[in-house]
Amino acid sequence: MELQAVLMAAGGGSRMTDLTYNTPKAMLPVGNKPLMWYPLNLLERMGFEEVIVITTKEVQKMMSTDPKMKLDVKMKLDVVCIQEDGDMGTADALRHIQQKIKTDILVVSCDLITDVALHEVVDLFRAHNATLAMLMSKAHEFTETVPGQKGKKKTAEQRDFVGVDQSGKRLLFMANEADLEDGLSIRKSIMRKHPRMHIKTGLVDAHLYCLKKAVVDFLADNKSISSIRGELVPYLVRKQFSKTTNCPKIKDDAEDQNQKKNDGSTNHELLISSRDEPLLQLAQDRSCWNDHRGDMSEAYHGGKLRCYVHIMDEGPCYRVNTLAAYIEANRLAPKLFEEVPVHPSAVISERCQMGSDSYIGAMCQIADKTSIKRSTIGNSTTVKEKVKVANSIIMHGVTIEEGCNIQGSVICSNAVIGRGADLKYCLVGNGQQIEPEAERTNEVIVGADQLMEI
Amino acid sequence: MAGKGGKQSRAGDQEEEEQPLQAVLVADSFNRRFFPVTKDQPRALLPLGNVAMIDYTLEFLTSTGVQETFVFCCWMASKIKEHLLKSKWCRPTSPNTVHIITSEMYRSLGDVLRDVDAKSLVRSDFVLVYGDVVSNVDISQALQEHRHRRKMDKNISVMTMICKESSPGHKSRCEEDDVIVAMDSRSQRILHYHKTQGLKRLQFPVNIFHSGSNEFEIRHDLLDCHISICSPQVAELFTDNFDYQTRNDFVRGILVNEEILGNQIHMHVTKDGYGVRVSNLLMYDSVSSDLVRRWVYPLTPEANFVDQKGRSCTYSRHNVYRGSGVSLGHGSQMEENVLIGCDTSIGANCYISNSVIGNNCTIGDNVNLDHAYIWNNVHIASNVVISQSVVCDKVEVKTGVTLNKQCVLAYNVVIGPDISLPEGTVVSMHHPDEEEDEDDDEFLSDDAEVGHSKDKTKLKAFNPAEVGAEGKGYIWKASSLDDTEDEELSQCLWGLVLNPDIDSESEDSEPDDPDDPVIPSPETDDVKVFQMEVLGTLQRGLEENIGFDNLVLEINSLKYAYNITMKEVIQILTSVVLEYPFQQQGPQLTPAQYVALLLPLLKKWAPVFKNYVKRVQDHLDCLSAFEEHFLEQDSHWPAMVKVLMNMYQLEILEEETILRWFSQGATTDKSRQLRKNQGVRTGWCKGPGECKEGVQLKELVFFSS
Repeated sequence: MELQAVLMAAGGGSRMTDLTYNTPKAMLPVGNKPLMWYPLNLLERMGFEEVIVITTKEVQKMMSTDPKMKLDVKMKLDVVCIQEDGDMGTADALRHIQQKIKTDILVVSCDLITDVALHEVVDLFRAHNATLAMLMSKAHEFTETVPGQKGKKKTAEQRDFVGVDQSGKRLLFMANEADLEDGLSIRKSIMRKHPRMHIKTGLVDAHLYCLKKAVVDFLADNKSISSIRGELVPYLVRKQFSKTTNCPKIKDDAEDQNQKKNDGSTNHELLISSRDEPLLQLAQDRSCWNDHRGDMSEAYHGGKLRCYVHIMDEGPCYRVNTLAAYIEANRLAPKLFEEVPVHPSAVISERCQMGSDSYIGAMCQIADKTSIKRSTIGNSTTVKEKVKVANSIIMHGVTIEEGCNIQGSVICSNAVIGRGADLKYCLVGNGQQIEPEAERTNEVIVGADQLMEI
Repeated sequence: MAGKGGKQSRAGDQEEEEQPLQAVLVADSFNRRFFPVTKDQPRALLPLGNVAMIDYTLEFLTSTGVQETFVFCCWMASKIKEHLLKSKWCRPTSPNTVHIITSEMYRSLGDVLRDVDAKSLVRSDFVLVYGDVVSNVDISQALQEHRHRRKMDKNISVMTMICKESSPGHKSRCEEDDVIVAMDSRSQRILHYHKTQGLKRLQFPVNIFHSGSNEFEIRHDLLDCHISICSPQVAELFTDNFDYQTRNDFVRGILVNEEILGNQIHMHVTKDGYGVRVSNLLMYDSVSSDLVRRWVYPLTPEANFVDQKGRSCTYSRHNVYRGSGVSLGHGSQMEENVLIGCDTSIGANCYISNSVIGNNCTIGDNVNLDHAYIWNNVHIASNVVISQSVVCDKVEVKTGVTLNKQCVLAYNVVIGPDISLPEGTVVSMHHPDEEEDEDDDEFLSDDAEVGHSKDKTKLKAFNPAEVGAEGKGYIWKASSLDDTEDEELSQCLWGLVLNPDIDSESEDSEPDDPDDPVIPSPETDDVKVFQMEVLGTLQRGLEENIGFDNLVLEINSLKYAYNITMKEVIQILTSVVLEYPFQQQGPQLTPAQYVALLLPLLKKWAPVFKNYVKRVQDHLDCLSAFEEHFLEQDSHWPAMVKVLMNMYQLEILEEETILRWFSQGATTDKSRQLRKNQGVRTGWCKGPGECKEGVQLKELVFFSS
């Protein structure tokens, strides 16, 4: 086993609280599948047989009942529950499962939907004996109208500045715009080693990381790091060029580690080494291969710690962490995975107009004279006569009474839409009742208790 | 100006292509890097591979399609003019018409371009170069791009700089000229441009990344060729901004004012091709050897592109070039990369490598030359060793002389016999002091000055210890020149040695970035800052007599600002107050003085304390800070009990907690001792503890004081 896969599925979805109020993010239906199915499927296609899933009790319970999860996922899932309310970051979660980690790991977030050739990332990790290899993608513009969003576009989020070398693979620099008030500052020595640095801003971090086991051990000793993306990755990127880790510490590494064990003292230095490190080192010394040209120094300039990034130029890569992304993902995910448009157990009247780009979940009942276009309809949903649904996402167990007109909206599970209601660009919260003949446009309709929460 | 530009572009749209390409060649460096060599000959005429540098520049311009060149001369203009009039450029058949414009008023590139504008010499885009640029870059593509850009967005792009790709540490990179460039990957627009010399960290303002693009490049692998394609506006901009002296000023000014003026600078990066400015002797060394190694092809020594009669030479393997009439003595070896000018005779058993020898030189027997640049009419006697040095025209080197690295023998100097010049010696016929009184930082008319200096040199005797018994010349001390330029090294002839590991050591000294997240828990810093703030607040309160409730308000807001817990607030407050006398008067206070100073303060600030110290735990926190303070100040133990008593009297502390603190864990020896010291008195109060303790304690402390 070369890599252990870890799926981070405990996130609450804090950037789309309207949706995740009752359904944890990992279980939000996207194309009638729970969101976490997509990264699991990605791992399965990659050939993983076992995945450690870090999640909450609630999600675990829902997983055990969800038919998709049971039938579609053949991998062995090792579910580790963490506290729901505890402010556990992703790095904390890794620390939590440190005992289970035996090799290098591949960490995936539960909200990633992509068809990336994952081997590209892993190959980078292998080829360069990297400490960190991650996936990024060109940011996509979300074109759909987002319910309840006033104005065309929110102020652009602060951009990430990602610096890569000439090959576009080696990760040299990473910072958020917010931290760059005094300007972007780069050490001259880095520029000497990598004289041509590309700074890219329009990228999304897919939150998919290959990490050396040593990094997990390092996390176990450094309790102050709590998030992978926020702290660990920037730390590793910076650490590439600091002298302390580049020193040939490896030689007396074996003794070193023994000592560490004996002392029981904590290790605040990241020791990047593996069993066959001396052998690899020898191979590198004897080989004429070099990762750079232009100066005469050895490969990687003698650095032991290396971070790489694979940047997807094309192809879908979505992180479903906002409402806009959720809607976009619903449009595209089914196409990506060639979903059957209508679940066999759904009952659909013959006199229903249904566009080819709509997806109907299991046990649905669609009555006469309805029209469904560019929409996804979840399991056990009832759609009565003369209902028009366009560009919408209807989750599970929703009842839509006669004569409704629903356009560009998201309707969460177990909501009931009263007779003749007209919803345009609305978000209807979990279990909400919309009174008959209501006319709503561009609104977020959630329960009062939910509002309090915010 | 705008009107003029508009008219021009309208009328000139079709003409633009046909208009002859013009160039502005600045045949002056406006600095004294090559002093004292350039006291006798302007830099543009110094021989490089036995050809004057300006000829390379003109050849480059001509071959790139320039049809009209304006040569601007200042220093020793007459010599340059004379040279050019004799050269092929001024023959009627020359494809490149050369106009020579001389003025002694030019002090900088800015002056030259202002003059270009004043005389309205240029009609459209022109090439701007210095007279010491050696290049074979084909700029036609860059020119096309430049013209295209100008056509596309209405004269926004004013300049295209030509840079060559070369990694850091490359020999032809001039360390002083090292630049870092931030540019837009797609449009090749320069966003930020600055020199890196002496910098450890490179800073880029964030606003340069707001240009709408999302891909940028930061490049440190560029060698500035000092060739730029300029729009006519460049000259106008120089006129408008009379403080622009150099091209650097211009580039910086344009980039800073980009938003206001809307002018942009672009960059053309060439991968192959050669383009270097000979800005110091180190560059002279590397350009010469590149030339001999044929990197500047087709500008090679045997090409005789200047078309001078009798100057042809033959090229044989290992890059050995021999002019006509060269005689080589028995047993002499020309190892590799050697260029020997016409009519030069070399004695027996010489060993020559990587060197250039000029015309009409005589070299004796057993001479060893490595990286030596011997100009014309030089006489070198036998048994001489020269390594990486420049020997100018008409120099005589007598027998047994050794020139170590980076020596320079300026014109007409005589050295030896039997002397070894240490590394970096510069010998000149000009006395270093001679011109100090007259022209401190001016480039005066050369004729007058040279004549004058000749008188002076006669007056001063040569020092045989410096130049040998028969030597003629003075050691030139660069430091004796007081420079008006702020950069010291601008006076250094050789310039900085390329040192790729220049900061590998500095890296050790700062192993981690200051923003390393692991070690610094931000809390500790905050606590420290908070402490300083509290101290400041109290101090101000005392000075301005601020009421206690306002002090409390201020401390409370600080508490939230720095996210300090209540416990820390109490401890810090206590320690700040206890430290206060030391803070004000210095640590040498006696206990009695300390108490005298502290007690009024305590009284004053008692309400502040009372506001915070309420619960039992607060009291203990306060006491522990108290204990900590006195543990550090063991000489002040006598004062301790008084302070404690005072705090008790002011009802800051309660007796119960004092007793509890007293009886509770003394963890270290010292704190046990401290308690014992205290205990002499407090112990007394514990004894008759059966009665009403409050009264007792009060009385007791009274007594003990």
